[in-house]
Amino acid sequence: MNGLPLASVLPAALHTTAAERLAALFDAHHERLYRLARRLVPTADDALDLVQDTFLKAARAAGSIPHGASNEEAWLVRVLVNIRRDQWRRAEVRKRYSDTERFDLAATGTEDAIVARADIWSALEALPPRRRAVIVMHELEELSVTGIATLLGISAITVRWHLSRGRRELARILNPQSGERR
Amino acid sequence: MTTAKDLLLGADPLTYEPPLPAARRERMRQTIVAAATDRSAITRGASFRMRAIALAAAVIVAATIVGSQIWSRSSAIVEAAVRFEIRLAEDQPAAGLQMAKISSTRVVYLHPDAIVTNADIASSRVVPGRTPGHFSIDVQLTPSGGQKMHDATAMHVGKPVAILLDGDVVMAPTVRSAIGGSAMITGDYTRAQAERIVNGMSLNR
Repeated sequence: MNGLPLASVLPAALHTTAAERLAALFDAHHERLYRLARRLVPTADDALDLVQDTFLKAARAAGSIPHGASNEEAWLVRVLVNIRRDQWRRAEVRKRYSDTERFDLAATGTEDAIVARADIWSALEALPPRRRAVIVMHELEELSVTGIATLLGISAITVRWHLSRGRRELARILNPQSGERR
Repeated sequence: MTTAKDLLLGADPLTYEPPLPAARRERMRQTIVAAATDRSAITRGASFRMRAIALAAAVIVAATIVGSQIWSRSSAIVEAAVRFEIRLAEDQPAAGLQMAKISSTRVVYLHPDAIVTNADIASSRVVPGRTPGHFSIDVQLTPSGGQKMHDATAMHVGKPVAILLDGDVVMAPTVRSAIGGSAMITGDYTRAQAERIVNGMSLNR
């Protein structure tokens, strides 16, 4: 046994039932998932629903979730982004109607700044969720390209492609004058 | 020119919205745990069968590994027995407790008696770890070992238990509810290291 790097062992959990596993997963990861979810959807309620749906999916598949904090995180993040993709595709069907509704809601704010912020956030809905997740992770969470690739289970090349396309689309959406200029 | 990053930072709702309300979080936690409880009740019958099959498979695999180690001419390293223990631990010192360092920043205080030892292991096996190329160890306890763990940890919720290999604390997770029959030792082991520990555990059984 001498010479084994036992000191490098990380904190972990003991699990017996699916309920204990889920409770431990929730405690360890819900804040991180909420932060990501909030940046992928228009409202805080949407984010809470997305986090809950992610953990409910985990509850149905507790046995197949890999162990270890970063494996768990990657599994949950991928599930969350996939659920969001499904929602987004369904929403695309009724896009025009819901956009109008959202902007009306945003316009009820009294401060111009609040309206501007909400408008920008609503405009982000135009980005496909995986691309939006890549942009959020890189620009707001400041993760590296390889870190994002590992988390989402895609190649670094795909991450870079999403980043460059996402930035172009964002520039066009958020800043039309500069976006059109070549 | 305003960059995409500036615009995102300016509009980021996390910077101006209140954090997740504690009551809402607790409600969500209960919903999720209840969903998992329902699920495990439904699949319990199947999971017992699966466990029995997995146990049989683990014994065969362990026997094969030990056998191949014994017969392998190229194996210059003699397999050493590994002493496995789980003990209750405390975050605060008290009379009769033994201090143990886990990392440069964390110590726990160990209870003198082990709850379970090698004799309580039904099986142990190497499983994939957190990252590719790294491995963890899954330890299944015997029914009596599981019962001892359950009884000891039921009164120890919110406090740590320590897993020791050869007297060194390798991890000290906090008990969230009474623990039953399995333990996962996660770490950045190579496959060879994890196999040496697993084999060592079975030699000392």
